[in-house]
Amino acid sequence: MADSRSTGYEDTYTESQVILTAVKVIAPFTLTYGMFMTLHGADTPGGSFQGGAIIGVTVLMLAFAFGIEPTRQWLKNSVIVSLVAGGVAIFVGVGLATMALGGNFLQYELFDTELGIPDGTKWGMEAIEIGGIALIVAGVVITLFFATAAGFTPEGRSYRTDSTDTDDEVITDD
Amino acid sequence: MSLVAYTLVAFILVTAVATALFRDVLSAIVVFGAYSLGMAILYTLLLAPDVAMTEAAIGAGVTTILLLLTIARTSRPSTERLFEPINVPALVIVGAFVLVLVTQLLPEMYAVGDPAAPVWSNPEVTQAYLEQTYRDTGVQNAVTAVLAAYRGFDTFGEAVVVFAAGIATLLVLKREVFA
Amino acid sequence: MIELLATRYAYLLMFVLLGIGLYMTIASQNLVKKLIGVNLFQTAIFLFFVAVAYVEVDGEPGGSPVVPATENPASSDLILASPLPHVIVLTAIVVGIALTAVGLALIVRIYSEYGTLREDTLREVRADE
Repeated sequence: MADSRSTGYEDTYTESQVILTAVKVIAPFTLTYGMFMTLHGADTPGGSFQGGAIIGVTVLMLAFAFGIEPTRQWLKNSVIVSLVAGGVAIFVGVGLATMALGGNFLQYELFDTELGIPDGTKWGMEAIEIGGIALIVAGVVITLFFATAAGFTPEGRSYRTDSTDTDDEVITDD
Repeated sequence: MSLVAYTLVAFILVTAVATALFRDVLSAIVVFGAYSLGMAILYTLLLAPDVAMTEAAIGAGVTTILLLLTIARTSRPSTERLFEPINVPALVIVGAFVLVLVTQLLPEMYAVGDPAAPVWSNPEVTQAYLEQTYRDTGVQNAVTAVLAAYRGFDTFGEAVVVFAAGIATLLVLKREVFA
Repeated sequence: MIELLATRYAYLLMFVLLGIGLYMTIASQNLVKKLIGVNLFQTAIFLFFVAVAYVEVDGEPGGSPVVPATENPASSDLILASPLPHVIVLTAIVVGIALTAVGLALIVRIYSEYGTLREDTLREVRADE
């Protein structure tokens, strides 16, 4: 049993009524809790690293309840890419915006003095917390989960495209 | 230090030793999850709720899931014995290492929570952060302030490292899609 | 001696955990268990940072690092744990899981290449090549 290497997900997935019901009840609360932690990290313990991780874990819970492959199809690749890459882009963008205003990288008080946003420092920090770190962490946690779940298959590069790049399969054993 | 803390320390020690000694990898992973949770509670007692939340979500949650997925993807050796045999040379080396640390380094350290310890009493680091956080940034959680404002560039580096590690995992597994 | 150990319990725990983590990376033949050992070693270092940041005055623990919402707080309100080590540990945990995942991906690749996760078997297979 330990040596049976499975290539898909369906054979390892068994629908459990207990897990399904529990996740259906808990998942909305976990998502809310993760977002609360992210959005309210300025004044209470918590913050974007924790909140992002909990938002990512919500997707992991869904994958455990409904099967990894259905969750993967429901959650499009472009969503994850935009989470991860968008997070980095927002973080860099905020940093470069302060440089464009004539200051240093991430010099938030320029939002206040140059653009006239009240509490500019606070909103600049919230921008990189919510828009930057939380998105990156949530996206990377989901990415790591799906990548590890897929494992390594030398022939098929991904489960979604199984007809493309066949030249990878030409393996000569000399 | 209360009875709760003593119990937690004992719990952490037992789970850590069990993680090292269990021969079955699945048992070791599950016990390691319990260890991380105990560690998270100890962080809460040591006044670090932010760290505790991260450890509970990531250490006890995500790490355990990734380890379980890995042994599901590879192999889990069948075992008859419950514990691994003790590797005596490794135990001697590690024992000497711990002995040197405990006898030579421990008496030189400040007591846990001593306000005279340099980390806490330094007027230019900790005290400055605590005094100026609200004035400078307008947020109350000093951890968030240090993370996003005072050491924002550092955090930028960390975020990019996390991003790069995600990409590296995909590269190692030769995958071209994130999900 | 007992006094010394009781007041420095967190550091003592850290040293023992460092030892256990090191033992796992050296003695365990299974690559997954080696990686768990690295993680254990890592949490011991986190414990050191968190214990260093902790503060108590006359046996009364201070507060978590959430400062009062005033421009000039009284110093009696500022008996709070140091935020800087917390930040370092916070980011280190997230970076740690990402690096653990890279290690696990490498383990999956090693398994698909050599069909084993045991270090001694792996050495033999590689010596035969």
